[in-house]
Amino acid sequence: MATVSIEGADLVVNVEGMDKLWTLKSRLTIPMGSVRGATYDPGIVADPKGRRGPGMHVPGIIVAGTFHQNGAKVFWDVRDEKMAVVIELEHETYQRLVIQVPDPRATVALIERTLTHRDP
Amino acid sequence: MLEWSASVFVTTGYEGTSIDDLVTALDLHRGSIYQAFGSKRGLFIAALRHHIETRFAQARPTAGDLDFVLVAAVERGHRDPQVAELVRAAVDRLGPRPDRRLGARLLERLTNEGEEV
Repeated sequence: MATVSIEGADLVVNVEGMDKLWTLKSRLTIPMGSVRGATYDPGIVADPKGRRGPGMHVPGIIVAGTFHQNGAKVFWDVRDEKMAVVIELEHETYQRLVIQVPDPRATVALIERTLTHRDP
Repeated sequence: MLEWSASVFVTTGYEGTSIDDLVTALDLHRGSIYQAFGSKRGLFIAALRHHIETRFAQARPTAGDLDFVLVAAVERGHRDPQVAELVRAAVDRLGPRPDRRLGARLLERLTNEGEEV
């Protein structure tokens, strides 16, 4: 579970609680210039995730950490698939973040609004 | 592929279309969709732009061609400046009284006792 906020020109993902243990990160700071988009995607949790490394995957319970799939590094922190948001990146270590947030639609709207102001 | 996406969005709407729906309809891996378009919104905008460039350029758009523009206007036009700009571009190409054409199509889309238009 994570919270997403915009701080200046950056997207900040704060990993909450015990999930910091599985993701080995408490905070990701991504320049908005590297954010390509955000999508509410509850179905992504059912998809294959690739090779785990390092991370935790207990089907139906938690997917957290770094996964490697088709050459892409994906950061996961999801327990409830109905709350999953996919944030696509470029020019970053991670190609994609799949994170659980308290309000997926609001998070997607926040990121899209910020992108629209960046690229009118 | 963009035309297929357009028909999915016309059938289930913007909010109502899931990435699962697009994966099934386009027969693509999820990762390919994200890599190519960045997000559902990215794909929607690309499909809308393609639709307007191909159906609203030379020939007169048919009533059915208006449906995607109507979905875009109703679901995204009020909160997405890029979509609003694309819808306005389409409306500009409808000739005189575009509101009449759009309004007529909207009413045509109403079903009669559950039949699908």
